[in-house]
This record gives sequence, C-alpha cells and structure tokens, in this order.
Amino acid sequence: MINLTINGKTIEVEEGTTVLNAARQNDIKIPTLCDHPNLTPYGGCRLCVVEVKGMRVPIAACTLPAANNMVIETETPALRTSRNVILSLLFSERNHFCPFCQVSGGDCELQNAAYDEHMTHWPMQPQWTNFPVDTSHPFFILDNNRCILCRRCIRACAEMSGNFTLNVEERGSATIVVADTNVPLGQSSCISCGSCVQVCPTGALIDRQSAYLGHDKNLTSTRSICRGCSLGCGIQIHTRDNRIVKITGDYEAANAGTLCKSGRFLPVEQNRTRLTSPMKRVGKQLVATSWEDAFATLATNIKPLRGKIAALASTRLSVEALSAFKSLFKDGLGSEMVTSVEEGRPTALQAAYVEKNGSSIEGKLDTLRTADCVLLIGVDLATTHEVAGFYIKRNIPKGTRLIVIDPNENGMNDLANINLKPKVGTDEAVFNAIEAAVIKEGLARTDAKTTKVSLADALKICGLAEEDVKDAARMLAESVAPVIVYGKGITFSSQSSTMDAMVRVANLVGASDSERKGLFSVKGEANSLAASLLGLEDVFEVKKLKAAYIAAGDDYVTKRLLEKLEKVQYLVVQASYESELTERADLVLPVDIWAEESAHTLNVDGHLKLAYAALTAPEGVRSNLDVLNEVARELGVTVNDDWHAALTKRTSVVELEL
Amino acid sequence: MKFFRSHVLVSVDPQCLEMGAHEIVDTLNDELVSCGLIDEIQVLETSRLGDPTRFGPDLVVYPENVHYANLTVDDIPFLVEEHFLKGRVVEKFRAKETVITDDELGAPKQKEVRIVLRNCGKIDPHNIEEYIAEDGYQALANALTSLTPEQVIDEVMRSGLRGRGGAGFPAARKWQLCRQVPDFPKYLTCNADEGDPGAFMNRRVLESDPHSVVEGMIIAAYAIGASMGYVYCRAEYPIAVANLNIAIEQAREFGFLGNKIFGTDFSFDLEVRMGAGAFVCGEETALIASIEGKRGEPRPRPPFPAVKGVWGKPTNNNNVETYAVTPQILLHGADWYSSMGTEKSKGTKTFAIAGDVVNTGLIEVPFGLSLREVIFDVGGGIKDNKKFKAIQTGGPMGGCLIEEHLDLPLDYEALTAAGSMMGSGGLIIMDDETCMVDIARFFMEFTQEESCGKCTPCRVGTRRILDILEKICDGKGTLADIDRLEMLCEEVAKNSLCGLGQGAPNPVISTLKHFREEYIAHVVDKKCPAKVCRSLIRFEITSPACTGCMVCARNCPVEAITGERRQLHVIDPKTCIRCGICAQVCNFNAVEVLS
Repeated sequence: MINLTINGKTIEVEEGTTVLNAARQNDIKIPTLCDHPNLTPYGGCRLCVVEVKGMRVPIAACTLPAANNMVIETETPALRTSRNVILSLLFSERNHFCPFCQVSGGDCELQNAAYDEHMTHWPMQPQWTNFPVDTSHPFFILDNNRCILCRRCIRACAEMSGNFTLNVEERGSATIVVADTNVPLGQSSCISCGSCVQVCPTGALIDRQSAYLGHDKNLTSTRSICRGCSLGCGIQIHTRDNRIVKITGDYEAANAGTLCKSGRFLPVEQNRTRLTSPMKRVGKQLVATSWEDAFATLATNIKPLRGKIAALASTRLSVEALSAFKSLFKDGLGSEMVTSVEEGRPTALQAAYVEKNGSSIEGKLDTLRTADCVLLIGVDLATTHEVAGFYIKRNIPKGTRLIVIDPNENGMNDLANINLKPKVGTDEAVFNAIEAAVIKEGLARTDAKTTKVSLADALKICGLAEEDVKDAARMLAESVAPVIVYGKGITFSSQSSTMDAMVRVANLVGASDSERKGLFSVKGEANSLAASLLGLEDVFEVKKLKAAYIAAGDDYVTKRLLEKLEKVQYLVVQASYESELTERADLVLPVDIWAEESAHTLNVDGHLKLAYAALTAPEGVRSNLDVLNEVARELGVTVNDDWHAALTKRTSVVELEL
Repeated sequence: MKFFRSHVLVSVDPQCLEMGAHEIVDTLNDELVSCGLIDEIQVLETSRLGDPTRFGPDLVVYPENVHYANLTVDDIPFLVEEHFLKGRVVEKFRAKETVITDDELGAPKQKEVRIVLRNCGKIDPHNIEEYIAEDGYQALANALTSLTPEQVIDEVMRSGLRGRGGAGFPAARKWQLCRQVPDFPKYLTCNADEGDPGAFMNRRVLESDPHSVVEGMIIAAYAIGASMGYVYCRAEYPIAVANLNIAIEQAREFGFLGNKIFGTDFSFDLEVRMGAGAFVCGEETALIASIEGKRGEPRPRPPFPAVKGVWGKPTNNNNVETYAVTPQILLHGADWYSSMGTEKSKGTKTFAIAGDVVNTGLIEVPFGLSLREVIFDVGGGIKDNKKFKAIQTGGPMGGCLIEEHLDLPLDYEALTAAGSMMGSGGLIIMDDETCMVDIARFFMEFTQEESCGKCTPCRVGTRRILDILEKICDGKGTLADIDRLEMLCEEVAKNSLCGLGQGAPNPVISTLKHFREEYIAHVVDKKCPAKVCRSLIRFEITSPACTGCMVCARNCPVEAITGERRQLHVIDPKTCIRCGICAQVCNFNAVEVLS
C-alpha cells in the first residue's frame, strides 16, 4: 500500500494507483477531460495538473503513479489559473458555441469543467477553422468542430473494441480525428459498436437515436442485461416517457462498458407492431378478446389434447419463463415435443459430451481476455457474439495470435495469423490433423504418442496443406495460454467424435488441463445455456401432434418454423409483436418484451444475471412467466417455480455461478 | 586496402543525383575499365562538394585537387582520356571558382578540435576498410575482449561524456541505469532525427562517417547488455540512411554485428528505422513510439525508457554524436577526453553555425570556449562588418543571448543559467538588422507546426502565442497583448507534456527579456526598429540621390512608383507592398527604408 497526502489529507491507496484515481477514491475532485476510468491514462488535456512537493512544475495527475510520502496540492491559486488557461485554450480552439450543442446544459464535460472553474466567458479570441460535419454514419455523427482532441474515442476504439478505426491525422493545431485514412465514417472500417460515442466528453460524437431527446438528467437509467446474444453484456437502459432513448454499456459489468451494434443501437430501433390485447380466431378472423376469455378458449381447445401439444420457446425468454415453460409442458403435460427455437444446435453436442464424461469442460469469458493464442472454429465473431471478438481483437497488437478455421469467408480472416480453409464438414479431420501434427512436432503437453488417424490421412480428408496445419499446430502448442473458441459451425451437424477430437487437441496443446479451461463455445441467444440445461434441445417437429404452443416472446420468427407449423390444427402463440406467426395463430397471448421485465438470464459462461425492468409494459400485456403460470392453472398443472434447482439437474458444460 | 594513384570523388547529394550523378559514376567506371586504368584510379561517391545549383553534377580529383563541374555523361570519355590517360587538366570542365570548398565543413578553423568530425570528408563512407585504417573498430575489439561491461561504463563515466542530444545527462550513468534493470531483452536506440532548423551535425557524421556511430552503438550495447539496436533516422536524410545501411551490412560481413561478435558471447544487431520527419520524434518517448510503428507522440515519464522503452523493454537512447565519440574515448582513454572542456562539460561539441556570420557550417570545438571566440574566431565574425545583436542557442526551444553573454563559456550549465540551453548544437547568429519579434514569430511558427497535438498547452497554446506575435508584427498589437504573451508563455512552459511544449516559449521569453523595447516599439510606436516587419515599414525615394533613371519604376511589381525621366520618383504607400525590390535594383542607394 502507498501512503500519500492530497490537500493535507493522508490517504492510502494500492500500489500502481495514479494520483488522479487516488483522489477519486477519496472523493477529492481533480478536474479532467481526457482521462476515463475505463481507458488507459493519456495525459493529454493537462486539466488535471497538480502540484507535487519537490517537483519544479505541475504534473498531470492522471499519469502520475502515487508514491509513498508524496505531498500533493490540487487547489492552489496557480493551479486554478493554469486550469483556467487550459480551458480557455480549449474553448478558443474550435467551435464551442454551447447554445447550439446537443450536450450543452449538463452532458458536456467541457462545459461542466468550465462552470466548476467559475468561468463565465471565453477570455481568448477563438480563431477556429470550420470542419465539415461527418454525417455519413447510420448511428452517430462526428462533428470535429466540437472536438477537444482528448483521444478518448480513439482509445475506446482500440482498447474496447480492438477495431482501430479512429485515429488522428496531421500535427499541431491542424490535428484532427479521422476514420481510417480520413474517409467518411459511414464508409470506414467502423463496426458501429458505439464505444466512441459513449466516452466522448463533448458533443463531437453524438448518437442519432438519442440526439435532442433530453439530457441525462431527464432520463431514467436502469441497469440491465443485453439479450442480443448469449454473452449477457451489462447495459444501462436510458428511458424517457416509457421509451428507450439510448442504451449504454455498463462500466461496472464484466464487459466494462463495451457493447456491439446489436446491443447498443439495434434494440432502440424497434419498428414491429406491438400486440396489446389477446386475440382468438373467429371464423377466418382474429378478434380481440379479454384475458379471461382467452384462457377459457385455451382450456376448451387444449385440455382435451394434454400430452399431444408440441411446445416451443424462444431462448430470449428469461430463465424463469423457460423453466416454467419446461415444467408446464414436459413435466406437467408430458408432451413429447418440448424444445427451444435453437433446437440445441449451438449447445447439444457439448452438453452430450459433458453428460457422458461427467464434468464441465468449458472456460469462462475471461480466458479470452488473457489468451495469447486463439483458435476460432465454426464461428464468425465479426457477425455474432461480437464482444467476444473484441476481447480477442484488442489483444492482437499486444501479441495475441489468431488462427481461423472456416471453409467460408470469416470476418476475422484479415486479422488472423493463419487462415485454414478446410472442406465443408471435415472438422473432425481438421482436429485429427492438428493432433497428429502436434505429436509429430514433439510439442504435445500430454504424454500422447500416437493418433488413431495419421496426419496424411487426415489431411486428405480435410484438404489442408501439411505446412499450414503444422504452423497452426506449432502456434497453438507453443503459446502459454491458448484458447479454442467454437460455435454453431461445429456443434450443429457434427458427430460426437468431432467433439472428442477437439477436446483431445485442447488437452494436447495445453488449452485445457487441470488448471486451465481454454475451451469455449459461444452458444446461441441470450438464454441458450439455460435452455440446454433444461433439456430443451430436441429438433422441433410437430409429427402427429394436434396442437402447438409457441412461446415466442419478443423474438423474430423464422420461415422454417412457419413451414413446420403448417399442419397444426390448433396454434397458440405467446408473443410481443405481430408477425406471420401470430397471423396464423388460433389464439394469441400478448406478452411483454425483454426491457419490460425484471428477470434473469444465464449467460454463456454460466453467470446468472438479473436485469431490471426499464419500461412498463403496455396495458393489456402480461409477462411471459405470468401467462405460462396462468395457462398451467387453467390446465390444472402445478408449475415447479424452483428454477435454480431445474438448472442444476444436468451437468453444465461450464461451471455455473448461480 | 588497395592503393590508388588518384581518387575521384563524385558528389551524390540529392540534387546532383537528380542531375545524373550516378550515371556519371557508371560512365567513369566504364571508361576507366576500357582505358585499363581501373586499378589506378578509384571512383568514390561523396556528399556535396560545391553548391549543386551552380556546379552539379561535379567531382574532384585528388591529389591533383581539380574540381570539374556541370558535367554530363557525354563529357566523361574525353575527361578520362585527357586527365587520366594523358595527364592534362581539362580546363573547359573546371569549375569557374578554382577554390573548391566543402561548404558544410571546410578545413578546421582556428580553435577547432575535431574528434566527432575527424573522418568526415577524409574517408570513403562506403568502405569499412578505410574506417578500419583510421583505427576503426579497434576500440570495440578492446572493449569486447579485454574489458567487462562495467569497465566500459566506468571508463566512459570517468571521461565525463554527457549526452549530446541536448539535456546533457551523463551518458555512462544512463547506461548504468539501463544495465541495472532486471528485464530482457534490452534495446538500444540512436536518435538521428535531427530536426532543428539549420542544424546538420548528425547528418554529416552519418553520411561521412557512419561506422563511428555503428561502432559506438555496439560498444554501448555491450555495456548495457542490449541485443538489438535501432537507428531512428529521418527520411529527409536519404544519404545518411543509405550510408548507414551500407555500414551496417559491412559491419555484419566483418563480424562486428550479429552473433558472437569477435568470438565472444556478445551478440547484437542493428536496424535503421526511418521517421517521417516529425520534429517531436526527437523526444525519446515519441521516438520509441515511432520505432514501434505508432504515431510519434510522447508519453509521460515515469516509466523512463531505461525501464520501459521499445516494446516495453529497457531501452537506452542516445544521440548520434554521443555514440560517435564513444570509440574515441575508449581508444585514447578517459583522461585524454576529460582533459578537454570545462569542469562539468568535458570533451568537444559539434555546432552548426548559421545566420549572419562569415563562416557558416559545421564546427567542433572544446567546451569552455566563449561564445565570442566561437562567433568571431571560429565563425569569422559578423557578415558585412555589421554589429552583433544576438545568438540563438539550442535550436527552436532554446533562447537568445546577447552581447553581455558573449564571454560566457560554452557549457551546459552556463547556457542554462543564462536562460538558454545547449540543445543539440544549433547556433544562429543575428546582426543588428534582425527584428527580434520577427525571430520569435519565426521560431513559434516552427514549434506550433511541429507540436504533435497531444497536449492542450502545446497544441493550442503555441498557436495562440503565434497569433499574438503575428498581430504584433502586423502592427495591431497592444500592451495588453504583451502581458497575455507572457502569461501564455509561462503556462505553456509549465503545463506541457514534453520538452517541445516546455521549451517552445523560450525564444519569446528570452527576446521579451532582452529586447522588450522592440516589442514596445511595435505595439506603442507602431515601428519596427530593425525595419523588418512589413506592416510597420515604408519605402521612400530620397531627393538628391535619385537620378530619375526609372529602374525602380520598371521593376516595381505593383506599379507603385511614378515619376518622369530625370525627375525624382515617388512611391505611393497605399499601393506599395513593401517587397523591397526597388531598394535592391536602385544603383544610387536612393531608396530608404523608414519605420
């Protein structure tokens, strides 16, 4: 621990803490603009200069490591003058006409800092250059006229998303933030994760969706969990008048503020039509009805069919709802077809492996952040589960190596050190080849000496070049903390022997051993793992069943599902939005959407996360769980509400943290 | 080493190259082969001989000391036949001025001692054997085979060698710090990013004697325990880069670089990294960022490069001159080196003298010489018998010194105490026709353009200071502007991140200190005492002198001059753009500049 004195107050902080953070931890306010708690210290704006006893000139607190017996002053008249001058310089640099700016009046850190220093005007004549505003991006606007060149956006782009799109061009007073080689943002390599917008202290990067819809003080902020995919990133939902204005990454959560386009921007852009009243089919028409009548209709039509109902749930449903769904249809009604829309495609293979072998095999998301070599197979992290891709991408400049195995184009191809393009459907042979190559090169971490399939045979099947496979084998086996990330490309349509081969390779190269678990599958949607643990992994088929109950929630509906439901005699749909599915339904039960319920998700690496409701559901709409419970009551079934216990009935592929 | 009857030195500086110097070299060799003279006459490439715009492409034949200029490829067969075969000097190709001088670096002037520059112009930089013939790589051999790294550090420590980059930190102390850090591998960097306006000491050493830098770096690497070195050289020095690469390649061939040098366990290699000509990359943390392929921006210290430098590993960075002099210290001993200079500044220092002085160019003098000796003895005094006004030392971040400082000894402490600094060794001498406000504006224009843009005080502050200086030079300044200038200078110097911003206000601060009355004249009287600032001067034609020859009127670009033949001419001040052409063309000195 380090002891230092700030403004006469002796404080204790951990070694390696900067003076600025030491002050923050002890509620001593040092103004700053370029520093951001989630980004590496930069030392650019110089607003946080402090006086250090024994030092000739003021020092920036953000980059100064606290040292024992350091004596710091933060509020001397000289420092106040310096801050005033620095702020005046910033105001004189570009167009900071506050009244015209979206963030003015509370959300601008530059304006707030000036108020804190009791500034009332600009003492220096501004001589700004007028920069064109870049409006080419679909989700945000880059206005260099408001920019103070703090480089937060640039650091966020690099350190949070690993995308390295933003940078600065030119020098001195001509310095300017640009995308790539100064191309419009909309045509750049930007992937719209929006981290830059979230960290911008001024109005230089503003989000189109929330622009002019109010300051932060007008918005209600709710901590929640993104339901975009299985990663379960922490988010803050900002609402006003019961609508989502914007979504930002939760700095306190494991994702530390990082989100992708699907988490930050897409949920705000909702243009489907909400269902607000139960509806039943009368002749050829769907007509609105009351909840009492809806349940009564359901009872009349479904009760006689007990056990002959095919039931399907979306994996976007909460853990509670999924558990109730399974309890109702499988345990209660004994239906032979109770499953999820994912049909176990991203989960069943490894679940079966674990069931056979008895213990969890997969590691946590964190292993990705510390990996020095990553093998991606059967997954494109540039299109799905993007934040997991960010964890890898941001480490590539630090030396993390990447191997991508994908017969098709993969968004990570350009970043990979090695790209292997095997024949489609030959994953097992690819692993066999790597296994044989590792052993042949004498790099095995286990005492394996022989393989079932020879290198030559394996190569013949997968069609890869021997040298490429050997390079990949060497890269994997020679790294300290390798991680294998796999996805639907492997788990869907593979045999259990492929899984065996992958686990063998993981052991062989030291990705998985008694201490580390460097095997990781990205799974599917928000509650993919929960659905797997509840056994909702069958391939959905109506067969000879008379009725179907679809708990779609706020999910989208696929054509494939609609085709499968064509011959169903009686279709009940529990959904939030109008769709082709609800049009076909005989009974429609309107339910709330993800942001309207306080409920749990179980994310990809087994963390149970509670999301709080940010919106109030429209009148006439009930929660997914409510509706399922009501249906159960109507059908005379008792639903087991101990979903914790339900989740632990099967061995999990990854250790659960409930 | 082979001996030749004559040496032909062909200038291959960029301008001569553009005019076909390489083709001339090729033709020369071809002709010498066909005349059977190739074993008697050696053709060498060298940097600039005379002013290329007047002489290029040109060459010099030694020992005859004949300078042939403005050559074309077609001239060569005749030249070879006449000069080398028949032994007759070809008068028609000779340069019009018979005395040819290396206008960057002539013969040593009085009071000069050349150690760093000793080989420049004397040896062929492309030939390692010539360097070896001048005792090259002997110091390295001694160090590696009979000295421990600690002994090398000790010897350099005792010599009192201080880093020549500007700050003057003891070189051996820096090596020791880096050696003590228990982290590997270690790196060595050489700052060859010389960017001060008018300074080219390092370029000349790299172009003319690259092996001395290579040898110095290998010795330093041995002392520190470094395994890889980078020479960070600006891309504007193409010949320096080319010669360095040749030198490195040759050193590798001779086993001075690579694995197990001289059969010892010490291995080291070197690589040249080219910078894109950003002045700030001379700052060591920016230099390191640039070597790593990042944008050249400085970062706060600690951690110092000795702990976390290139690729996050311990790194020692020194200037070209520091490395170049190291072999000489080991060769002749610490006592020899420390016998030169002052108590705290030992040895010699190279300077680039520029400005209103008779002998401009490079010099190397022992520390302790007074500024007066440098300007008047080595530099030959002020041009055109004008009066000395000021000297800017330390480049654009240094300060100006005046008459009263002329007897100061040239050393690190004395210059700092006087409000300037040693810097890397640029000396700009100004006569009494220099406007000091204009000079301050010039330097500020440079630093504000070269600011990397990372920190606010430097990026915006230098721009605002420049705005005020421009306003004053424009005759629109007020007394309040001078106060604002002082305030801004103080804040920028105090709060900037790196040495560039911290030093940027120095020229303004020092001119305000020594020439405040000039600033006052600009803002209060609206006059430029040195008659330089265009907005504050006017041109007038005086009565008896003007003969009415009409030359001025004919040459005036804006037709501001009127008058009949043989009558007094008049300049219309409203039309006049103060270009000064009339004063230049007048044969009777009738045009007077007034302020």
